[in-house]
Amino acid sequence: MTLAVAASPTSRPSLLIRIAELRAWLFLIVLVIVFETWTRIGYGTSFLFSVYNLQAIAVFAAMPLLLGLGQTFVIISAGIDLSLAFVMGLASVIAATLTNIGAAHLGMNPPVAMMFGILAGVAVTIIPGLVNGWLIAYLGVPPFIGTLGMYGVSRGAAYLFAGGMTIAVDNDWYSQIGNGRALGFIPILVIITAAACLVLHYLLSQTRFGQHTYAMGASKAAANRAGINVKALTLKIYLLSAVMGGVAGAMYTGRFSAGAPQAGEALLLDSIAAVVIGGASLFGGSGTIWGTVAGAFVIAVIQYGLVLVDVEPFWQFIAVGAVIIISVLVDQGQRRYLGGRQAE
Amino acid sequence: MERRSFLKLAAATAAAAGAGTLTSTNAAAAAPTIALIPGLTADGFYVTMHKGAEAAAKALGVNLLYQGAAKWDATLEIPIVEAIIAKKPAAILIAPNDKQQLIGPLKKAFDAGIQIVCVDTFIGTGVFQTGAGDADFPISYVASDNVLGGRMAARALAKAIGEKGSVYVSNVKPNISTTDQREQGFKDEMKNYPNIKVLETQFNDDDANKAAAQFQAVFGRAPDLAGVFGANLFSASGAGNGVKQAGATGKVKIAAFDAPESIVKDLKDGTYEMTIAQHPAEIGYFGLVAAYAKVTNNPVPTAIGTGFTVMTKANIDDPNVAKFIYSSK
Repeated sequence: MTLAVAASPTSRPSLLIRIAELRAWLFLIVLVIVFETWTRIGYGTSFLFSVYNLQAIAVFAAMPLLLGLGQTFVIISAGIDLSLAFVMGLASVIAATLTNIGAAHLGMNPPVAMMFGILAGVAVTIIPGLVNGWLIAYLGVPPFIGTLGMYGVSRGAAYLFAGGMTIAVDNDWYSQIGNGRALGFIPILVIITAAACLVLHYLLSQTRFGQHTYAMGASKAAANRAGINVKALTLKIYLLSAVMGGVAGAMYTGRFSAGAPQAGEALLLDSIAAVVIGGASLFGGSGTIWGTVAGAFVIAVIQYGLVLVDVEPFWQFIAVGAVIIISVLVDQGQRRYLGGRQAE
Repeated sequence: MERRSFLKLAAATAAAAGAGTLTSTNAAAAAPTIALIPGLTADGFYVTMHKGAEAAAKALGVNLLYQGAAKWDATLEIPIVEAIIAKKPAAILIAPNDKQQLIGPLKKAFDAGIQIVCVDTFIGTGVFQTGAGDADFPISYVASDNVLGGRMAARALAKAIGEKGSVYVSNVKPNISTTDQREQGFKDEMKNYPNIKVLETQFNDDDANKAAAQFQAVFGRAPDLAGVFGANLFSASGAGNGVKQAGATGKVKIAAFDAPESIVKDLKDGTYEMTIAQHPAEIGYFGLVAAYAKVTNNPVPTAIGTGFTVMTKANIDDPNVAKFIYSSK
């Protein structure tokens, strides 16, 4: 899966390498064991074998993970997408507004109004996605700056559309999407997120689009010389990221029955952290969808678990920060062991 | 940075001194300019406050300036204060983002001859014109009594949960004067109910997603959880969603604060048991009137307390209650 792996001279390091690559899952297992022990001793209940806890954690991780999926592609390509914070909010606000318009003015019944709203919310994110891609690919703006600019533009747009408030939505179908359970216990939100994970995993690992993304992240120059249209690829990557932000925003509106411009603001850093904990390097060239999934769950498990065992809230921030630092250190160590970092 | 602000201050003072005699004789003739700096722009509460201030400005013939940051952050609010100082309004109505960090910039404004009225949140202690402390210069503090609001929430919630069980406060982040006071009032009042246990407050950084997960975690370890006080909009919204996710609607009651338009649905479908609605339009209106009074050399009360309305499913359809829902219309 990772393209730029230097030749490892002996077979012994491969176990260590595998451990390093799967570090997110190992973190997760360690965390689950710690919390399981803690809850059993402290409260006589189980952490892991509780449908309630699993549902809560899965729902908590769903929206940061949706953002993280798109962010994975961007980070693999050696970029970053900061605009997701407000692209998600913009989508949320548009979805809410258009669901209301559909029901009130276009005579749509609830399920149709909901589809109309969701499609509109996701569709509107095409604009910031294209602008990001164009700025970064064709005008050569560094991703950090370009997406930071769109962060501001999307923010203003979202607040303008919402008139500075949240947009209430009264649509039972939409609320069901965000809060309902399939088969009585699987949250629909989780099913949608899982489906997105499968689709994007396929896209990243089994298609040329995914392979080219890795190539570009490993070495843009080499990718260019190999005949990959890096500019078009960049455009598509940022478009994908923005659309995932749109999906997350549309889901937010369903869940909270309201569109909020700041829906994604608190989730942006979690989405980047999830990708990094999952094994991606911020320099590009490595990372996987399942790694991001593990990373998102690590963050959710820590934040949920610490509240569950009644730890002082501020320790949560320290814990998530510590996990990110350890992840990056392991990543650095892995690279040194393999002999040199990725060419930029 | 120091030099620039010093030069600005010097220029403002010189202009004020030079034009001093001119403005006092023309006060009656020229329409005074008063600026309103909200805590943040993207918030139904402040949008409604702006409406109230605009109504007062229209009635009094005041030119109202409105500038704010999109986020609750002192580092964003301070540059706005400095930009407004340069426009030389007669007074600034401001909801300071931080009790300490805004003292300096507002003192600069005051020294430049601009009167300061604190609306909603305050600097220093919120008690002004006493002759004590370095944050004594604002002429008035116009706000709901947030401690009282917290008490009212506690009373209403205690009654709703049969005066027994566990409760906790879902709050934003520490050191915001309003939410701190609501939490304080809530916890104080709950001491009167010996059978109610107040659990540790959870901070959600104004993120509904986090507030929901925090609710589920607390509920996971405290099955006798009977009530939650959401100290602001997203805290209550998140906790309400957490209740829904946990399938505990009706079992765990939420006392919310503030009344955005979505409150009608949330009260009717049982997401919230009640909400403590402030009167932000009143705060804006009376804040502007206080500033105008001072600017036209009239006495001003140093504290103006605006009221609350407790909204429940039972009374939300009453137009006398519904008119306090925050809206931009």
